[in-house]
Order: sequence, then C-alpha cells, then structure tokens
Amino acid sequence: MIVTRKSLNRRTFLRGAGAALGLPLLDSMVPAFAATAKSTIRLGFVYVPNGMIPKDWLPQTEGAAFQITPTMRPLEPFRDKMVVLSNLTHVNARALGDGGGDHARAGATWLTGVHCKKTEGSDIRAAVSADQIAAKQLGAQTQFGSLELGIEEPSFAGGCDSGYSCAYTNTLSWRGPTTPNPVEISPRALFERLFGDGETTDFAARLKRMQENISILDYVRTDVARLQPALGTRDKSKLDEYLESIRDIERRIQKAEEQKAKKAPILDRPAGIPDLFEDHVKLMSDLMVIAFQTDMTRVITFMLAREGSNRSFPELGLPEGCHVVTHHQNDATKIAKAQIIEEHRAKVFAHLLKRMDETADGDGTLLDHTLLLYGAGIRDGNTHDHDDLPLAMFGGKSVGVRGGLHLRSKAGTPMTNLLLTMLDKVGVPGDTLGDSTGKLDQLCGL
Amino acid sequence: MGAFLEKQTPVASPVSTLRRRQILAVPVMLLSMTTLAGAWLQEPVAASRAGLVKQYCLGCHNDRAKTANLSMERLDSANVAGDAGSWEKVLRKLKANEMPPVGLPRPSADALKVFTASLESELDRAAAANPNPGRPTIHRLNRTEYSNAIRDLLGLDVKPGANLPADDTGYGFDNIADVLSLSPVLVERYVSVARTVARLAVGNTDVKPVIDSFNGLREVRTGARGQRAGRNDRISEDLPFDSVGGFSFRYTFPVDAEYVFKIKMALINGGFTETAPPVGQVLELRVPVKAGVRHVGLTFMRSDALAEVVPGVGRGGGGGRGAAPANTTHLDLRLDGARLKLYDVPEGQRGREINELSIAGPYNITGPGDSPSRRRLFVCTPAAPKDEDPCASKILATLTRRAFRRPVTGADIKPLFAFYKRGREDASFDQGIEMALRAILVSPEFLFRVERNPAGAAPNKAHRINDFELASRLSFFLWSSIPDDELLTLAEQGKLKDRTVVERQVTRMLADPKSQALVSNFSGQWLLLRNLEQHKPDVERFPEFDESLRRAFRLETELFFDSILRENRPATELLSAKYTFLNERLAEFYGIPGVRGSRFRRVDLTDSMRGGLLGQGSILTVTSYPTRTSVVLRGKWILENLLGAPPPAPPPDVPPLELRRNDKQLSVREAMEQHRVNPICASCHAKMDPIGFALENYNGIGGWRDKENDASIDASGTLPDGSEFRGPAGLAKLLLTKNEDDFVSTLTEKLMTYALGRGLESYDRPALRSIVREASKQNATIPALIHSIVNSPQFQTRRTGQS
Repeated sequence: MIVTRKSLNRRTFLRGAGAALGLPLLDSMVPAFAATAKSTIRLGFVYVPNGMIPKDWLPQTEGAAFQITPTMRPLEPFRDKMVVLSNLTHVNARALGDGGGDHARAGATWLTGVHCKKTEGSDIRAAVSADQIAAKQLGAQTQFGSLELGIEEPSFAGGCDSGYSCAYTNTLSWRGPTTPNPVEISPRALFERLFGDGETTDFAARLKRMQENISILDYVRTDVARLQPALGTRDKSKLDEYLESIRDIERRIQKAEEQKAKKAPILDRPAGIPDLFEDHVKLMSDLMVIAFQTDMTRVITFMLAREGSNRSFPELGLPEGCHVVTHHQNDATKIAKAQIIEEHRAKVFAHLLKRMDETADGDGTLLDHTLLLYGAGIRDGNTHDHDDLPLAMFGGKSVGVRGGLHLRSKAGTPMTNLLLTMLDKVGVPGDTLGDSTGKLDQLCGL
Repeated sequence: MGAFLEKQTPVASPVSTLRRRQILAVPVMLLSMTTLAGAWLQEPVAASRAGLVKQYCLGCHNDRAKTANLSMERLDSANVAGDAGSWEKVLRKLKANEMPPVGLPRPSADALKVFTASLESELDRAAAANPNPGRPTIHRLNRTEYSNAIRDLLGLDVKPGANLPADDTGYGFDNIADVLSLSPVLVERYVSVARTVARLAVGNTDVKPVIDSFNGLREVRTGARGQRAGRNDRISEDLPFDSVGGFSFRYTFPVDAEYVFKIKMALINGGFTETAPPVGQVLELRVPVKAGVRHVGLTFMRSDALAEVVPGVGRGGGGGRGAAPANTTHLDLRLDGARLKLYDVPEGQRGREINELSIAGPYNITGPGDSPSRRRLFVCTPAAPKDEDPCASKILATLTRRAFRRPVTGADIKPLFAFYKRGREDASFDQGIEMALRAILVSPEFLFRVERNPAGAAPNKAHRINDFELASRLSFFLWSSIPDDELLTLAEQGKLKDRTVVERQVTRMLADPKSQALVSNFSGQWLLLRNLEQHKPDVERFPEFDESLRRAFRLETELFFDSILRENRPATELLSAKYTFLNERLAEFYGIPGVRGSRFRRVDLTDSMRGGLLGQGSILTVTSYPTRTSVVLRGKWILENLLGAPPPAPPPDVPPLELRRNDKQLSVREAMEQHRVNPICASCHAKMDPIGFALENYNGIGGWRDKENDASIDASGTLPDGSEFRGPAGLAKLLLTKNEDDFVSTLTEKLMTYALGRGLESYDRPALRSIVREASKQNATIPALIHSIVNSPQFQTRRTGQS
C-alpha cells in the first residue's frame, strides 16, 4: 500500500480512504509530520494568581506519606500522578530595590526567572520563558509551536501594578525578552484557530467539508486554465501564484494522506465565552486536550486569571474580588473566603487532569505523556512574597516521573531549577535559566 | 483658473496658441489622431535647448560625474521623444524650480520659461503621436473591494474582507495590481470566507449559535478636578435625541430565530486598573428577530422616563444600601430604532458604564427569513421539483453576470450547476445554490479584474478596453466595488463607448452613496488618515487626546474632502477653504465656540488659526511624533503629498537630533539649526524645515499653541528661493500662489494612481498634464479631475503585451 498509494489519483484515494483520512485540510490543522509509533511528551503550565493560603496548601509531611491538604482536596484522585514541590523560590520576583509591584513581577518571573524591568511604557523587558524554550524545539514538528491561553481578558490600560506594564500580568509566555505572547481567552477563537471555520470537530463533518473544498479548488484550477490564453505574460505569472497556492494546499492534502487517523472527540464550536469561571475553564481544557491529543501542539501555558486578578465568584457566594480577599490581614473570614476560591480553582483544574487521564495515548494516558505544572508566582497573597511557592507537578510517567510524593527542596532553591529539570525531561536540555543554580536533584533521580 | 492656463501656455506664438486651443477643444481620446509634426519649431528651439543644457546642466550631469545618476551628455535636444523618460525628469525638476540649484548660475527666468514650455509641448506631441496608455496587470481585489463586492453582489454588508490577510501597498495605495499578490494562506482564507459568506447569504439554518461581543467605547476626559469621568454625549445619530453615552452598530442576524442580548455593566473605577468588572451585573433579554441587517442601539437615557426595575441587579459587593438605590439611571436597548426594553439600573459611586453588549444566537431557528441577501439571490423560487433546475440556472446566471462583471456563457454555468446539483442532492435546493456560490466566490474571475487582449491584437499596441472592462474600471475607481446592473446593461448595449454616456454615469456614480468609498479610501490613503488609527500620542504630554478626538479628526477631514468633492469646488480649496466640519468635542479642542453636541456640521472659520487641510488635527497628528511635533515630517509630507516633490531618503548614519544642550532644552527651531550647519543635510532640509516651521503653532496633536517651553513660537520661514511666509495661513497662501500647478498636478497624479491601480510612469506624464489642462477649464474641481481621468487614454485604453 505504501508504494501504490503514491500512484493513486488523489481524489480516488480520498473517496476510497474515507474515514482513514486523519485531519481536515483547509482547517489549517495538518501537522507537518506523520505520527510516529512512539508517543511524544508534552509540556504544560497552569498558573494561579495571587498565591494560595499557605496553611491550606502546603502539606506538613514530606515524601510518599504526604497528606492531602484542604486546597488540594479536588486533586486527590490524581495523587499517584502528583509531585508536590516546596521551598522553591523566585528571588527575582522580589522588589530588589524596585518597590511595589509584586503581582507584575510574579507573572513576569514565573517562567523566565528574571527580574523584569519596571516600566509602564513600551520598553518592557523580561526574558525568553521556559515554555518558549521548549516550543522552539518541540514546536518545530507541530502546527502550533505553542498555545498561550487564559481565562481573563488582558488589560491594555498601560500600567497594571505599581508602575509595571500590564504585559507582565497579562501573560507568562515570552517569545523574546521584549515580546510577550498574547493570551487567547475565547474558546470560540481557539476553536477556530485549531479547526478553521467549521462548526464541529466531528470527523465526518470535517471530511465532507474538506472534500467540498477540494472540488472547489479543482474548479478554480480549470477556471484559471480557461483564462490563461487570453492573458499576457505578467498576468499569467499572477495567475501562476494562484495555481501555486492551490498546489501548496494540495501538497498538504497529501501530507494528510500519510497521516494516521487521530480521532478527536466530537465538540461543537463554542459560541463564545461562558459566564461562569468553571464552564469557561472546562471548555478551554477540553480544547487543550484535543490540541495535545491530535498533536497540534506540545506546549501550552494556561492562566486561570491574570496575575493580580480581582475576579469575583458570586457563584460561590463571594461577590468580592479575589485580590481583595487575599489581602486578608489575618482576618479569618477573609482567609476562609480566599481558601474557598483557591480550592475551587483546583477543582476546575482537576477537570483538565481527569480529561487528560482518561484519554489514551501511546502506552498509557495523555497525562502520562505530559509534564504539567500547576501553581503560583506568589506564596501568600497577603504578604506578597515569592519564597516557597505553591507548586505541584502532574503526569510525566512516560519520562520517568513517579508521583505520590511531596519533595521539599532546600530553602531558597530557585524555582528555575525545577523549570530546567522539566525542560530536561521533555528532551530540551539546557544549562541555565534565569537565576538557576542547577537541576532539581530529587526529581532527576525519579 | 484662467491664470492657471495662462501660465501653462508656451511661447506666445499665435500659431501655438491657436493649436493649443484646438487641442483643448477636441476630446482627449482623439489626441492621438491629431498629427502634430511641429517640425517648424524644432530647429531653432533644439539649438537653443542644447546650448542651455551645455551651459547650465552638463557641469554636473555629465558622463563622468553623473550627479543624481543622470548624465545629459547624450540626451538629444532635437529628439526628446527618443528618451522621453529622461526629458520628463528634467522637466519635473525645472518646473519644481529645483534646477539648477540655488547658488549655481541660472538662465534668465524668461529663457527658463521658454525652455520648459517648449520641452513640455514637444513631449506632449510625441506622446500624442505614439500614445502609451500602459498596461495594468491583472488585478486582485483588495480587502475593501472584496467586502464591497460581497455587499453589492449579495446584499450582505458584513465586511468579510476583514478576515483576509492585510494587503500590501505600493505608491501609497492598497489597490496597486503589481503588489497585490497571492499566497497559500490567502487562498485558504478565500475558500473559508466564501463558505461563511455563502451560508450567511442563503440563510443556512444549520448554523450553530455564536456570541458576538461589542465593547462600549470608553470615552474618557479629564474633569475639572483632574479625575476622569464618563463623557456625556449622544455618540451616534442612530440613538434617540435624549440619550447619553452608549453606542450603536449594525448587526447581521443570519436567520429568523431567537437571539439573546446580554449587557454587562461595569462600575467606573478610578485607581485600581486590575479590577475586573464584577460578575453578576448582567442584563439579559431573549427575543425573536427577523433575519437581516439591523441597527442595535444601547444607551443611557437623559430623561427620567418610567423604567422597568430590573430585579437582581444590585451594587457589586452586596449589602450596604437597601433595595432602592439613591441614584438610578435608565438604560435603553433598541433594535432598528424601536425600544426592546428600558432598564432601570442603580448607579455606582462614580457612575456606570456599559462594559459589553453581546448578541448570542441563533436559537430556535424558525427559517431562513426574508433577508436582503435572499431577496437578491433567489430571483426565482421553484414551486415544484421540476422547476428547480431551470430556476437554479436562472439564479446562477444572474449571479455570475454580476460576480464576473461580464456576459455569461453556458461554459461558465456548467461547472457551477454541477456544484448546485451536488448540494441539492446532499441537502436542499438552497444548499445547492450555496455550494455554487462558494465556487463563484473563489473563482479567479470574481477575485481578479481581468482585462483581455482583443482577438488578433498586435503586440505592444494601444487598444480600447471593452465596455465591460471599462464598467469595472469605473466602478472600482469610484465605488471600490463591482459594477451595478445599470453599468452592466450599458456595457451590454455597447453604450459605454459614448463619452456623454460615460460622463452621465460618472456623475451618477459620484452621487451614489457607494462613492463614499472614494472619499475614505482615496483621501484616507493620500492624506495618511489611515495612520491615525495606529498613532499613539503620549498620554502624559497630550492628556486631552482620546478615542473620540481620534475619530473626530478623521471624520473632519473626510467630511471636508467629501464637501469639496460633492459641492464641485476647486481642488485648491482643500488648502484655502475657510470652513471645516466640527462637532462639540473638536470645536472645543480647536477653541472654536458655539458648536454644541456630537453631530458634525459645517462651520465657517473666522480667524487664520484654522482653514484648509493644513489646519486639521488629523494631518497634524500623523505628521508628528508621539511626544512632539516634527517640522521635518510635516515638511516632507507637504513636499511629497501636496507638491509632488518628495525629498530623497536621508543618508545612512544620520546622528539623532540633539534636543538638549548644556542642560538646557533646545527649542525645535534651535535643534533644527543643526540641519543648516551641515551642507549635506541643508540640501534637502532647507526646503523641508521652513515649511514645517510654518505649522509650529500646532502641537503634536494639532492643538494651537503660542509658546513652547515658555518661548514664543516663531512660525516664519524662508524657502531657498527667498520666498518668505509666516504661519499656516501664510504657507497655504504661498502654496496656492507659487505652487498651485504643483498641487493640482500632484493631486491628479495621486488620483490617477488610485484610478489605474498602478504607479505612474514617465509615459503617463503627458496624459497627466492633459488631464490637468482639461479639468482646469472647469476650475480644476475634483469631479472635473475625475471626469478628465476617466476620459483619458490611460483610463480608456490599454497596451497589449510584448507578444
């Protein structure tokens, strides 16, 4: 079949192949490679704003015996695939003489490890973030190098936190030191980016649309041929651009023919942004799972809110902004409220874990083939400090990560050591990142 | 304008004057037929021309020095047609009074005049004897044209071009055939957009709901005590008279169905910008709406009209005040001018604003509805199955004629009918038409403007384009869109060969609202108004700049250009007019009293601070840096866009301008003196800078100022030729006395570039001059220029290719 297929007329093949054909073509979602038998490893970062109430997050016990804390309760079903990390620090998120602005610095430092420039102007500066370092290598083989997703509308009002540009709180992902990646928050826009202008991920519907498009392109080709004789040479070369474009699209059709079928779950195009936080996160999570599963990308960052977010949660009976309650000033009521929100975030994040863990991939689940970090760039929203950040890593079984552990590092260990180790595990080794001093030994040994 | 013609008249020989009258009397199209050998003039003129060139030009423009890449040693003074391109360059430099340069010996003014005039008329004669109308390349529709074509083809005004990648521009315009290229991404988008458009046009009832969100414009302005407050304006003509704030827009409802209107409110918040709008402040209304384009308006009401109290909409934060809020405001939601609902909304501490209005749907679809696009598309409805195929053919024939802008043949319809059949068999009659429409919309004959060589045409010869090609040239020039039925019918009847018919059509087309495209696309690009959208004046320095001012700037200039066009006024009024178009916001900014409300209206100007394009905020802003004015940018803009004499690019490694010296802030004029010290800089800046200085009374967003850094503004200038002027009025006066011809000719050149969709070449210059002469007989009004362009051989004829 491998040899004869090349000689087959493309359309004959399409008709015959039917459901064997993997992905829609004009959806602009054809990965540029044929799927390999060995499954790939993915990398994901999920960010929580404003820190977490430490007493309700940090387990008192270390190692395999660690106990699930209140804020972690929704994550308990994944305890075996979870590594809680403590004592990791972002020194560069501290003021270091720059005064206020811990929210901005927390966001900008989380995946870069550098101290960002204090400015509200266009002269922003941080560094290439860990996800982008990975995307450069892992993304070379997928349609999207990386996806940057979020839940809360970015702000463009100039400054967002004590003299810092909103760019620092809007995103985690930096393509270059001065080029933050914008965050996509609309499930509909994300869907359209992944699946083109169709209404559903349903394979049969996509195949039909693809075949319609192919016949339309065929018609265009004959029409161009009809036109050609009456035209001069320069006109012909313009039309040649047209024909060349059609050929280019057809080349991608052939690539798709080589693609093994990867059936994405059926999902209709989302209408827009759901009002409820939970619904919104779940919808984005479902799309992330499809993007990972069909290998459209291997690197995703996902912000559950902008850093410094003041979103309120009336659905939890908490109409006040979450930023306000994290500045609890040791008021027990406020602490309790903050904890409710933090546990709620863990609960909606658990949906992503669940979906990834029920999706088969290679010799295990999608979660096994993903290294997924969940956490914040601020320890405690009341004190705004960046020591002992609340962090937990999930998945990674396929690259030797064993879960069910709480790993406590030496106090003051740079969080960038963790990032370096994660990059190492997904096959993107490096020596330094921001203020890193080495790899996270305990994790390397796993 | 008589004077204008006078100046152009060459040597005052009675014969030549007579001849000129004859030329002007005959239609330009016939120019090529009037054989004008002119040998009687050649000998003595050629000799004196050669002498002049030798004496004044060859010193620099010889084979060795080749200054400015031009040697005139081999230019044959007796045969200008032999190298018309070079002679055209010489002519331009002489007419711009740039050569010989100041400081070098010059011929007497009279000798120069004779030289210029005879050179010009010889070049014109040579062109008339052997016309070269040029040859536009096959022309892809740009994004604007695509959107307009869909609107006029299908009655569907949804601007689908916005979903296509941005077009490249050339010669200052985005409709230049040579640079409008095609890429796989674009073709992919065409296929995808065609599907969306076809589904919408047909009213496909399988459509899944979407939520479209519209954000209220955050109009901010600094209040009396520095705090910012919402702006109290009725901001759209589509909203009721007693309304304040809010917004309105046109929305296409794809099918007859239920739609959900959702209004999200936000408290106006002063300090903490990270605050998200509180969730829960949502007003929701689900109503059935008929398919089609409708106006949706949302606004606060000024009056205390009775309003329905909305339960559950309380102040964010809960608790505190009781159920009856101290302040309430009324929120009016309208569809096509009729009230859908009046809400009573409690007001927050610092006021409220609309954060977002979203429309979700369609839900519970009841049918495709009777939308304008369906009415336009379905010219017949099959009553019985046997009627379907003939009706489909009829629909496709009607559609294809409009889409391809020419008569259709069976060969055109056959493949499209196959698409119809396929969709019919799959689903329904409507979806059959939808499939065929998708194919039409990606056909090269829809996406390209194709001009064909006539059968058996000799290579490299000028020929008249056919009536359909002319109809398309007209409609894309004046409407940025496809021809309408009237134009197509005239083309079918062969009537567009008749000059008076074409003139009537041009007049009709200019009167049609679709000619707004000419105003916004032509003036928007010629005057750089489009750059206004991206311009970001520094908020610290220009706190009064906001979105409503940005829009007002653009609207002022567009309305101004529009009035000069529609009122048939001389193009020179663009510089000299003593009126403009203002609303309250803009009038306040200009310091002009007595203008109330957000509506724009014509206002007569009484002082010399404003008047003409040079006093308009739009142009003054786009020719400034975000933080300060630039005399260089302004000077360059005038030279390039108004006088047709663009200065060359600056040499590499120019050091930045020193703005401070000895810890003292330099005035702009002091800083610019650096240009004069360096002779390399001075050669161009001696002309640019003084022009820019005349506008220094306008700050970086066009606000009037008498002082800068506590020093009085000196808005005087002296050009290299010694002419002096002061302030914007002085500059406009100078431009209109010394450079009137340059201005009209530059405007014409830009209009021709836009009309033809190609850059002008030296062989176009005789046609350009002839167009200007022709239009000058009618005061060189913009319509006169348009008519002359349309009548010109460059517009009506075309050269065949090399073979």
